[in-house]
Amino acid sequence: MNSDADDSFIHDVLPAFISEAQEQIENLEQLLLQLEDAPGNSELLNALFRCAHTVKGSAGIFGLDRVVAFTHHIETLLDKLREGQICLTPALDTLLLKCNDELRVLIAHAASPEEEPVAASAARAALVEQLQLAAGAGPGAEAPSAQPPAAAAAASPRLWRIAVAFGADTYRNGMDPMALLNYLRAMGEMPSLTCNCAAVPALDQLDPETCHLAFELELDTRASQDEIESAFSFVRDDCELLIQPPEAGDESRTQPAGNRPNRGRPAKDLQGTETANSRTAIAAPNKPVPGKPASPKENGTEETSGRYIRVHADRLDAVINLLGELVIAGAGAALLARQTRQGALIEANGQMGRLIEEIRNGTLQLRMVPIGETFSRFRRVVRDTASDLGKDVLLEIQGGDTELDKMMVERIADPLMHLVRNALDHGLETPDERQAAGKSAQGTLVLSACHEAGSVLIRISDDGRGIQRDKVLQRAWDRGLIEPGVRPPDEDIDRLIFEPGFSTAETVTNLSGRGVGMDVVRRNIEALRGTVTLSSDPGLGSRIDIRLPLTLAIIDGFLVGVGNSKFIFPLDAVVEVIESRAEASRTDERGRGVVELRGQVLPVVSLRALYALEGPEPERTSVVVLQAAGRRYGVQVDQLLGQHQTVIKPMGRMFRSLRGMAGSSILGNGEVALIFDVVTLSQLAAEAPGSTSRIPKGSAESTHHTPDNPNPTMSRHATTEQGTTP
Amino acid sequence: MARRSKSSDTVQLALPAELTIYTVGELHPRWLSWMQQGTANTAAEVHCAAVEQVDGAGLQLLLALSRALAERGRSLRILAPSESLRAGCAALGLNDWLQTHVSEGIAA
Repeated sequence: MNSDADDSFIHDVLPAFISEAQEQIENLEQLLLQLEDAPGNSELLNALFRCAHTVKGSAGIFGLDRVVAFTHHIETLLDKLREGQICLTPALDTLLLKCNDELRVLIAHAASPEEEPVAASAARAALVEQLQLAAGAGPGAEAPSAQPPAAAAAASPRLWRIAVAFGADTYRNGMDPMALLNYLRAMGEMPSLTCNCAAVPALDQLDPETCHLAFELELDTRASQDEIESAFSFVRDDCELLIQPPEAGDESRTQPAGNRPNRGRPAKDLQGTETANSRTAIAAPNKPVPGKPASPKENGTEETSGRYIRVHADRLDAVINLLGELVIAGAGAALLARQTRQGALIEANGQMGRLIEEIRNGTLQLRMVPIGETFSRFRRVVRDTASDLGKDVLLEIQGGDTELDKMMVERIADPLMHLVRNALDHGLETPDERQAAGKSAQGTLVLSACHEAGSVLIRISDDGRGIQRDKVLQRAWDRGLIEPGVRPPDEDIDRLIFEPGFSTAETVTNLSGRGVGMDVVRRNIEALRGTVTLSSDPGLGSRIDIRLPLTLAIIDGFLVGVGNSKFIFPLDAVVEVIESRAEASRTDERGRGVVELRGQVLPVVSLRALYALEGPEPERTSVVVLQAAGRRYGVQVDQLLGQHQTVIKPMGRMFRSLRGMAGSSILGNGEVALIFDVVTLSQLAAEAPGSTSRIPKGSAESTHHTPDNPNPTMSRHATTEQGTTP
Repeated sequence: MARRSKSSDTVQLALPAELTIYTVGELHPRWLSWMQQGTANTAAEVHCAAVEQVDGAGLQLLLALSRALAERGRSLRILAPSESLRAGCAALGLNDWLQTHVSEGIAA
C-alpha cells in the first residue's frame, strides 16, 4: 500500500474508529460509576482496563499520538488498580472520570489534524501528572515510562513466561546467556528463573565450548512481545525460544516453538482484537462524525460485530420514507380495489396490505434502541451535580430496556438532563434539611421508562420537597401570569413552572436556576409529539411524566368521520367503541358532556361541537372510548371507518397551536385526515362541562370559544398555547 | 591446580580467577583428570575464593563437573564461593544449586 492509499484508508475508517472509541469511553464511564459502588470488583476493573487498552490500541493504529500517550497513563493506573497495587478511592474515581472526559475530547478532535491550543495540552499534562502521582502512590510502583506510542500500544507491566534453550554455537558466536539474562532483567522484574541443569551433560561428555544451557523464567515487564523478542535477536537463529504472553491460557504453552525467526508467534490477542467482545453493538445507525461528510463508502469499511450490522442512518431513513409512501399508495390501491367490487382483487390487495404492515413494523423496529443507554448517562450527571450541591442522592434506573425510536432517544436526552438537574437542584434537599424533615439523609431520584398504550412513559420522580406552591404562586402573581390574589387549583399551580420565564430558585445556580429551562423542556418534548405532566406532593416529592410516541413516522390509526372531515386516533389508545343515541349524550355548546358506561360516568367530547364541524348530524353516533394519561374518556363521532395505517405528516405552522391535534395524514384517496393527540384531547374532555375559556390570542382560528370568562386558570392555558407557537 | 589432599578421602580443586569461555577449553581436560583421582568415597572439594570472572560457559563447566561427580556417586562441595561466583550463579538462576553444594561445615 502506498502512502496515498494509506491515507485514504485511514480517512475512510477513522469515523468508524471514532464512533467505536466513543462507545468505549461510554463504557469506561459506566464502569467507573459502577466501581464506585463496588470498588474491589475485579471483573469491572478488568473490563475497565480492557476498554482503555482497546482505545489505546486502535488509536495507535491510526497514529493518534495524543490519544495513545494520554491513554497510556490511564492504562498504567488502571493496571495497578487491577493488580490490586492501588485501591480505588472516590478521589481516584473522580480523577479517572475527568481523564475519561479529556479522552472524549481528544477522540472528538481526532479527526482534525491541527495542533491543539497550549491551554488544552497544559490541562492534560496536569491530569497526567495526577495520574502518575496516583500510580506512584502504590507500593512497587515504577516511574511511568515514556515509551513511543507504537511500542506503548501493547505495553503493560505483566508477567511473561519465557522458555529458552540456547543453541550449541552460542559461545562460539560470542554470546553469553548470562549477559542476555541480565539484559532481560533490565526490562523489568524477573521473579523466577530456573536453569535446566539436566540439559548440561556430565563433564566427560561435554564439549566445553558448546552451549547446553536452557532456562525457564518469568518476566514482569511492560515491554511488548517484539521488544522481548528483540533481546534474543542475536541468538535467535539457533535457540529455541517460547514466549508466552500474559493472560494467555496455559494451553498456549504447548504451542510449538520452532527455531526459525518467522515462526508462528504465540497469540497476539492483546493488540486490539478484543474490541468485538466488549462492544455493545446496536442495530442502529452510528452517528455521522461531526465535521465530516458522511460518505456512503463508510459502510463498506464498517466491520461486522457478532450478529449486528452497522447501518448508516441516512439509508435507514430513506427506507422509512419510502415505506411511508408505500403505505399511502397501498391504502390508495386498496380503496380502488374495493370500489371495483372484484373479490379476487380486494383479496390480493388485502394480502399486500398485511405484508406492508409487517414490513412497516419490522422496519420501524430497526430504529428502536433501548433507552437505558441514555438513562445511564445520568449516573454521572447525578453524581457530579449532587456532590456540587452537597447533596446525597441515589439514582435508581428502572425499565432501561424499554425501546424507543433512536432519534427520539437522542432528542429526549437534553430535556431529560434538564429535568434531572432540576430535580437535584430544586426538588431534593440537602441531607440536613432532609433529616430535619424526618426523611433519610440520602435522597432518591428514580428514572423509569415503560410502554403505555402505544407510547413510552418516562418518569422522573424524587422524594424531595415537592413543588413549593406558595412560592410558585407568589412568583406567578409577581410576574402577572395570574391575577394577584387568585389561587387556581393545585395542579394548575404546579404546571406554572413550565411557563416561559419562570424560576423559583432563591439563588440562581449555574445548574438550573436561570429560568430558561422548563418551558424549553416542555417545548422540546411537545416537538416530539410528546407531553409532559407534573404532579407533586408537598414534602414528599414530585413526579414528572413524559409521554412520547413510540415513533415519529408511522402509527396504526383508527379512522373516524365527522361530517365531511376525517380524523385519526392512535389505535393503541382506543379501548372500545360504543353506540350512542344523540339524546342519550347531551353535550353543552362546547361539545362536552357525560355518558354512562357500565355504571361509570364517562366524560365525552363531541368533535362536531368542539371543532364546529359542518354537516348534518346523523341520527346515530358512536362514542370512541380512549385511554390516555391514566384516564378514560369518550369522543363522539359520526362514522367509524376502521383501522388505518397512518403516516404522520407534520402540520403546517398555522395549525401548530391547535389543541388536541398531533399531526395530519394523507388518506388513500388523497384526502387529509387530522391525527388526534389523545392526551391533550383528554384534558379538553376532563374540563368540567359548562366551563368555557377565553380565546387565546394568536390562536383564534383554532377555537370558537366564547371570550367571556376571565377565569385565571383558563387564561394560563392561553399563555400555554402561545408558548407552543413557534 | 588439582592436588591431592593429605587426607585420602578428599580431593581439592582450586578454581582459577577466570572461569569463562576463554578458559574452559584449557580447564576441561585438567578437571577431567582431577576427577579421575578420587574413588566413590572421595569427597570432591572445589575451592572457589579466587574466582573473579565467570560467564555462562564457565558455570556450565562447573555444572557438568557436578553432574559427572553425581553420576559416580560422589558429591561436589564448593568451598568459599567468591562474590563473582555467587553473582554468576544468581544470574543464571543457580542459587539453589549453589546452596546445595556449598559445604557449610567446612571452613574455607
